[in-house]
Amino acid sequence: MAVEAVGRVPRRPGPVGRLGAGILDLLQVLGEAASLFAAAVRASAFAPIDRQRVVVQMVRVGTDTLSIGALLSIFVGMVLVVQAADQLRDVNESVLGPIVGLAMTKELGPVMMAFLLAGRAGSAMAAELGSMTVYDEINALRTMDIDPVRFLVMPRFVAATLALPLLILYSDFIGVWGGAVVVAIDPAIKLTVNEYFARMLEWVHLSDILIGLVKGLVFGMIASILPCTFGLRTRGGTEGIATATTAAVVWSFILILVFDFLIVRGSFAAG
Amino acid sequence: MGAGARETPQRGVAVELQGLRRSYDGFDVLRGVDLSVRAGELLAIVGQSGTGKSVLLRQIIGLERPDAGRIVIGGLELPRYLAIPPEEKPFRIAMVFQSAALLASLTVAENVGLRLRERRRHSAAEIEAITRRVLADVELEGTEDKLPSELSGGMRKRVAIARALAIDPELILYDEPTADLDPILTQQIGELIRRIRTTRGSTQIIVTHNLPLARAIADRIAVLDRGRIVECSTPAELAESRQPLTREFLRAAALGL
Repeated sequence: MAVEAVGRVPRRPGPVGRLGAGILDLLQVLGEAASLFAAAVRASAFAPIDRQRVVVQMVRVGTDTLSIGALLSIFVGMVLVVQAADQLRDVNESVLGPIVGLAMTKELGPVMMAFLLAGRAGSAMAAELGSMTVYDEINALRTMDIDPVRFLVMPRFVAATLALPLLILYSDFIGVWGGAVVVAIDPAIKLTVNEYFARMLEWVHLSDILIGLVKGLVFGMIASILPCTFGLRTRGGTEGIATATTAAVVWSFILILVFDFLIVRGSFAAG
Repeated sequence: MGAGARETPQRGVAVELQGLRRSYDGFDVLRGVDLSVRAGELLAIVGQSGTGKSVLLRQIIGLERPDAGRIVIGGLELPRYLAIPPEEKPFRIAMVFQSAALLASLTVAENVGLRLRERRRHSAAEIEAITRRVLADVELEGTEDKLPSELSGGMRKRVAIARALAIDPELILYDEPTADLDPILTQQIGELIRRIRTTRGSTQIIVTHNLPLARAIADRIAVLDRGRIVECSTPAELAESRQPLTREFLRAAALGL
């Protein structure tokens, strides 16, 4: 009996085995996330949307991100002007406005706000759903014939997907004004605020803002679906909740950057 | 407390388990469970920790599928029952979880009326009336606006029972309803379950390792040992049992453990 038991103990996997297990685990998470995404889209399209629950989630997203988002955006706009002005001092300061405008609308605003959403609201989603999974609240919903996707995931998915483009516009606005503040108060910069905005408006087109908003829609989906996926697959009590929350944020960041590259590449390819 | 004659028209459903098997990672938890529960019966399943009692309940309510075996409730095979749309189900099943599993962000009233609200077949006034009535049944009037975090463990368990009662179920499953409760609260929960048995006539299956509670309230007690039902008898018959595990339980209960 003892010999049998010893014989059945699995050997500890080596580096290749661990790598393989990690890849399989990643593929499983991505598969579950894709499946949850499809279910959330189906629920959003065919089930009556509980507006109250969506609004509650949007308010949560807003309270989690608005103040920090403003701080981040204003300082990033200011730093952009300081850095660029230093490089352009002897060349052409008039491009400061376009640099800040294009950087904020096309790249920094969307990515920064998506990271903020994933880090604040996304981590809260993963922790909340993880806790509900561990303490049988999700199972309780199932026994009441209440679909957890429709009841819990869909409002978060819709709220994050709608909120992120709005947050990006908010960030763009504050960021360009942060740059304007530095232009106005830094004696080393010869450009006037009017010139800064005039040149920005010449260079930044509606399509640039739209690309940022499209990114916002995609990133909003990622920053809600991945945390919900990790939350719903939580196992193992409090430690499991912490692990799921961390993994949700890390993988949201990674996937946001991957999709950022794909969208940028796609937009250039489309001309 | 104590098993008495049924006073209400029978409205519970019979439950039949045949050769139920379930394993996890190669470890057999249920090894062929056979069990019959009569309509309106209050059956307790006792056993040591880790013998598969909670797993058994999860199979019965359909949270997990068995590897083998049949579950027939109210004459319907479980997969067939689960496939019926919620509004058309011929009977309802409710479960009270060990952790109570109340939604932390909802008030007591919202938790109790959750399923009714989600089904959208009752008006707000009807849901409020049902919520008040079932909260009164579990003696928790006036707690409607409290959050679960503001309640004691025993109160949370009673809210969970009220949530189950709100849908007027024909079958109620309880997973360790008195775990972590002191003897007085345990007795209160036991009396409540017994009262549900006499006033509503629902079939009730209680999983517990509390043998004195099971003997006090159940019509029959099934003993689960290493994934099999080794005995199923009335509390009086159980007291005379020669089954080794049952004897161990009785000895521990006699010592007040």
